[in-house]
Amino acid sequence: MLVRFWGTRGSLPTPISSVEIREKIVGALLAADGRRFNDADEAAAFVEGDLAFPIGNTYGGNSSCVELDLGEDEFMVFDMGSGLRPLGIDALRRFGEGRAKTFNIFMSHLHWDHIMGFPFFTPAFIPGVKLNFFGGHDQIEHALRRQQEKISFPVPLDFMNAEMTFTVLEPGEIHEINGCRVEVIKQYHDNDSYGYRVERGGKTFVYSTDSEHKGDDLEAENAFVEFFRDADLVIFDTMYSLGDSITMKEDWGHSSGLIAVDFCHRAEAKRLAMFHHEPLYDDKTLHGLLEETQRYEELMRGEHALEILCAADGLEVRL
Amino acid sequence: MEWTSKARGNALVVRPTGAIDHDSAEAFQENLTAALEQLTETDGPLVIDFSGVDYMSSVGLRVLMRVSKTAKTKSVQLAVANLNETMVEIFQISRFDKLFPLHDSVDAAIAG
Ligand SMILES: [Zn+2]
Ligand SMILES: [Zn+2]
Repeated sequence: MLVRFWGTRGSLPTPISSVEIREKIVGALLAADGRRFNDADEAAAFVEGDLAFPIGNTYGGNSSCVELDLGEDEFMVFDMGSGLRPLGIDALRRFGEGRAKTFNIFMSHLHWDHIMGFPFFTPAFIPGVKLNFFGGHDQIEHALRRQQEKISFPVPLDFMNAEMTFTVLEPGEIHEINGCRVEVIKQYHDNDSYGYRVERGGKTFVYSTDSEHKGDDLEAENAFVEFFRDADLVIFDTMYSLGDSITMKEDWGHSSGLIAVDFCHRAEAKRLAMFHHEPLYDDKTLHGLLEETQRYEELMRGEHALEILCAADGLEVRL
Repeated sequence: MEWTSKARGNALVVRPTGAIDHDSAEAFQENLTAALEQLTETDGPLVIDFSGVDYMSSVGLRVLMRVSKTAKTKSVQLAVANLNETMVEIFQISRFDKLFPLHDSVDAAIAG
């Protein structure tokens, strides 16, 4: 399995600012320290190999959208934030290579940042494309229809040519979808959200975003630990610091990197991807949070080491 | 979890020992809640002396915050003291250092 992050920002797409780009250029020039590059390849190799991530790259600004690429088979997509738009464009290219024109789309919930990419998803306008929606909510179709009503968008859902199906998945049951074993867990978020555990070929992928873990129900937390058990990758909502998530931002429905680390340690998961980044945070801040979370992991580590990465738009992780 | 509790004037000093993680979080919460019940708004602070605690995970931190909220509703001060290096780092990473002043000694915590 290959996991491809198309959108990793929480709440609202967050374009990078000129100020930030200028800071990166200044940082790169300082790091180059007068070095000469004979051609673009040499310069690119320096950017690739020598610059710190937040200087040479950006975590990106599209809202939640993750693809689980199974190679030949149908598409597997988790949430339809603004990251769905570039995924749609890339899918057209892959159709040209003979890829199946079917998308299995799993919705964590129907908040705007998780559905806003759909009106701009080009494959939805193509006859012969099939879109299978899955989720714990029975209002997926309603949410998509409402988003494209005349008052908000010029093109109604019925104008889209793709064939669409909507399936409610019950938490606690095992579902067979596209050759995968799919499990669902109900999460703590305004109007509920759902997490997904997908297993195939001995690999396990977990997508668990927009969920608050207050710690007042330890039984419920054990259920999440079991849901994450032995996962190769857990994508987890790490939007806030632990302090913020239980004071100012209590009941905002989000979690922190420290809770993610503790759950993953107990579950003996292999990798954690920090996800649903706070729009206020620039690349430097996000990178700092990654390093702090890695340090916390080191402090808390028992026998089981956990690899931690910070999800970025365009990042690919092979499981 | 080993737990000692001692009155110091108007203040109550409690001292947990070991690690505070998912195995001990419940005991930590029960002991803290019981300690809080002994105090009223006219009493001095409830001081948690962390000198015997090796580390505390997110579940322990969340218990601490919940108990601190209960303390606030009773107008009882909650203070923490004697964190080892690891604990200081955990408080910094979690931003709990912004929520609780970290006192170097029980005396400093009582003085506030
Ligand atoms: Zn969200
Ligand atoms: Zn949400």
